[in-house]
Amino acid sequence: MVVKVNNLVKRYGDLIALDHFNMDVEEGEILGLLGPNGCGKTTAINCILSLLEFDKGEIELFGRKMTPNSYDIKREIGMVPQEVAVFENLTVRENIDYFCGLYIDDKDKRAQYVKEAIEFVELESYVKFYPKKLSGGLKRRLNIACGIVHRPKLIFLDEPTVAVDAQSRNFILDGIKELNRSGSTIIYTTHYLEEAETLCNRIVIMDRGKNLVTGTKEELKAMITTTEKTIVGFAENKVEMVEKMRHIPHVIDIEEDEDDYIIKFENGVNNLMNLLEFIKENDLVYTKLYSQMPSLNDVFLELTGKELRD
Amino acid sequence: MTVYKYFTKIALKNRGIILSYIFIFFLISLINGSNITEREASFVPVELNVGIVDNSNSQLSQSLKDYLGKSHNLIEIVDDEEVIREQMFLEVVNAAIIIPEEFDQKVSRQEEAIELYRDDRRAESIQLQNQVNKFLTFVNATYEDGEFNLAEVKLALDEEVKIELIGAEEKVDNYGVAAWFKIYYNFASYIIIAIYIAVIGVIMSDFTNKNIADRMKMASKKFFTFNMEIYLGQLTVAALITLVFILGSVGIKWRDIGGVNFSKHLINIIVFSFSILCLTFLINNITRNKFVINGLSTALALGVSFISGVMVPQQFLGDKVLAIAKFFPTYYYVRINDMNINSLLDIRYELSMQLLFALAFLLMGLYFSKVRQRV
Repeated sequence: MVVKVNNLVKRYGDLIALDHFNMDVEEGEILGLLGPNGCGKTTAINCILSLLEFDKGEIELFGRKMTPNSYDIKREIGMVPQEVAVFENLTVRENIDYFCGLYIDDKDKRAQYVKEAIEFVELESYVKFYPKKLSGGLKRRLNIACGIVHRPKLIFLDEPTVAVDAQSRNFILDGIKELNRSGSTIIYTTHYLEEAETLCNRIVIMDRGKNLVTGTKEELKAMITTTEKTIVGFAENKVEMVEKMRHIPHVIDIEEDEDDYIIKFENGVNNLMNLLEFIKENDLVYTKLYSQMPSLNDVFLELTGKELRD
Repeated sequence: MTVYKYFTKIALKNRGIILSYIFIFFLISLINGSNITEREASFVPVELNVGIVDNSNSQLSQSLKDYLGKSHNLIEIVDDEEVIREQMFLEVVNAAIIIPEEFDQKVSRQEEAIELYRDDRRAESIQLQNQVNKFLTFVNATYEDGEFNLAEVKLALDEEVKIELIGAEEKVDNYGVAAWFKIYYNFASYIIIAIYIAVIGVIMSDFTNKNIADRMKMASKKFFTFNMEIYLGQLTVAALITLVFILGSVGIKWRDIGGVNFSKHLINIIVFSFSILCLTFLINNITRNKFVINGLSTALALGVSFISGVMVPQQFLGDKVLAIAKFFPTYYYVRINDMNINSLLDIRYELSMQLLFALAFLLMGLYFSKVRQRV
């Protein structure tokens, strides 16, 4: 077990930021930490990394208790914060070298690591650039390089793809997979659920300081009521049909999506057959009809609710 | 020593600020150096435009006017304080005297007999004050049986004594050099406060930026080692800046350095630099905001220098101003520069005070650092 968090409690006065939060991370996996804004993701990470004191609970990294003075454990950890945290007065190479120097004393080894980190994020053409001259995507890549340059075994990535274009995002996600393939265990927080779906082996969904569910994406999807979604579009839109469709067996919800209807079914057999029968009985002409498995987005919304957060 | 290396590297990248301050400082020092020798080597009486109001019209007041009229240009003005101040502001007159109606009686009773207004922008107007005092002293000395012996006063005032100073040229030269060193090192204190706070403060605001600081806290470099490298970096940058000023004074006045107590200035500026470094440490633990730091650099340097006697000699500052200035090391630093000493023991109190301030800044800085860590 690389990370073991047991009954973690963190209070800010009367506000409970973490309420008996638990999390285990196995070696070599990519764990996605998901949750709405203000649910306690960053607080949990900061507590795990000893950047924040907590009120109760236990944290073990690599089988040892984590404290602010656990320098041997810190050597094995890399952190890529959500905000780009680099020196504006140092060039790309100097920044990476500085953060590497906080872990590696040997000059030659450091030079080698810095070179490899620059190659990894493909910033070779920008080594003499100052951060202010870099685009948003390049800055994110520099931020990642500074966090992984010392070759950590455990990497925390806090929303590393925020505000970057599709190409940069793709590049970053490929890089994370590459880091994982080379042996690093990764804890990944994001708001982009499709990223977590494609990237993570296991997912923890947390809300209001608690972990709601933990499991693989298939396990999470099996936990929710919706097991199937069917999207149907009619040649002639008849609003009164919506109410009638609700009486089809196993239908739990119907959402309108422009001219289409998204019909959610709970676990049951012949759902599609039942819908086709309904269409025939009511002399309806459909222009579109296909079925989907629920996405992680459905899991997330069903578990955390649809009301707006901060 | 990665932290130390990059601290000094970032400092060098801020060389624009350092060089601009140093350039201005040396430019002013060179200009000042060329002026001071000329001014101190000779004395030339200056004729002033003196406004006069004679409400007494007595023999005594006439005698005073005759005496002052020999060395100044007397102009009759109206007896209105507002008008007088306006005329002085417009430099129509450089000073003004109001002789009251009961002038004779006041002089005989040795009371304050004359109202004198001086334009502080003209330092030579002090000469008029001296002349009036001299006249009144002489007049009082001749007062007998209710009368002044004005003829005797006139004789006495007309008397001239020729004084020949042996080795005067050398003394004047030495006085000029000492004055130059005093002004140079006094002014250096202003620049040191401004540069230390601006440069070290701006670098530290990068290092204490929350996101960067979190990355450092996460690192395997020990907190103690990290801090030691940061402090060593600050010390190096501070020492280099102070060294530039010390070498600057040697470079500009290397021929005359034997004529002044250079060790006094050397020890004083080193102790002062250390106390300002500790002040910078305190400021960096109070704020991380670059705009606040830049503002403090200018406001604190200017304000403290002014009240401590860097711009205006301490003798000309009011008691209340000096009482406030005593709460800052610059006051003690300037005092040492102004003192003529026989041995370094003569300045032990002022040096101790600067070191005490350093200690106080350091302790307060540590306290705020702890408070920040808790937050």
